[in-house]
Amino acid sequence: MPENVISLAARRRFALSGLALGAAALAPHGAKAQTPAGPAQASGPIVLHGVSPRLTVHALDTFHGTAATGLRIDFSVREGDGFKLLRTVTMNGNGRSDEPLLIGDSYRAGDYELLLHVDEYFARKQSRLPTPPFLSKLPVRIRVANAAERIHLPIQFGPWSYTYSRGS
Amino acid sequence: MTGITTHVLDITTGRPLVGLKVDLYDVATTPPTRLNSTRTNADGRTDAPMLPGAAARTGQFELQFHVGDHFKAADALSDVVPVRFAIADATQHYHVPMLCAPWFFSTYRGS
Repeated sequence: MPENVISLAARRRFALSGLALGAAALAPHGAKAQTPAGPAQASGPIVLHGVSPRLTVHALDTFHGTAATGLRIDFSVREGDGFKLLRTVTMNGNGRSDEPLLIGDSYRAGDYELLLHVDEYFARKQSRLPTPPFLSKLPVRIRVANAAERIHLPIQFGPWSYTYSRGS
Repeated sequence: MTGITTHVLDITTGRPLVGLKVDLYDVATTPPTRLNSTRTNADGRTDAPMLPGAAARTGQFELQFHVGDHFKAADALSDVVPVRFAIADATQHYHVPMLCAPWFFSTYRGS
C-alpha cells in the first residue's frame, strides 16, 4: 500500500529528528553558551519531583528568549515591617541559582522577597530602553505557608512585563 | 490620557476581580508616600485613575495589590503583590494591569 510506504518514511523522518534533538540535548552547555541570543534551549529539563522541601527559583528573559544568566537577585526575609537580606545570588547558565534559596533547616514558613536587578541585567545586554527603564529593581514577594511543601518559583520577565507563579 | 490606571482580572474565573484593595505609592521618597488607596469596581478597574492625568509626572511608583485578602487561600503564593515601575515620560499613559490567581501573578505595561 502506497500509504504505508509514505507513513513508514514519515515515521523514519520523525525518528531521525528525534535523534537529532537527543544529540542537541546532550551537547555540553559550554557549546550552547557560545551561540548569542538563542532560544532558551539551554534550560534542559530538571526534575524536582520527589526532592526534599526547598525553595528554588528559575528566571527566564522573555525579551531575548534565554535563561536570565547573570541576573542578580537579592533574597530577603520579612522581619517586622521590613526585609532582612539573607544573601545575593546570581543566576547560572540555566537561569537558576546554583543552590536552592532555602533548603533543610533554612526552609521555614514566612514572607520572603526576591529583588531582581533587571535594570542592571538589561543594561549589560545593551538593550535600548527609556531612562529610567519601566522596570528597574523588581520585587517578587512570596509566602511560604507550609515548609513541608517544596516551592519552585519560575519568573519570566522582559523590560515591560513579568509573570511569576508556583511551579513544579 | 496620562497618569496611571490599572485593571485586575481573576484568571481562575475569567472575570474582573471586584472590590480588590489597590494602593499607589511614590517610592522615590523614604519612606514611600501613599498617593492613593482604593478598590476595584465591578469592571475590575478603579473608578478614578490611580494617578490622575492632572498629577502625572515622572518618578518611581509602586502599585500594591492586596490579593491575599481577596483569595483567602491558605497556601496562596503571595499576600500583597507590589508592582514597582518608573514613569519616564509623563506625557504618556501608564496602564498597568494585574492578571492573577492565588498561585500566579502577571503584569505588563498595557494601553
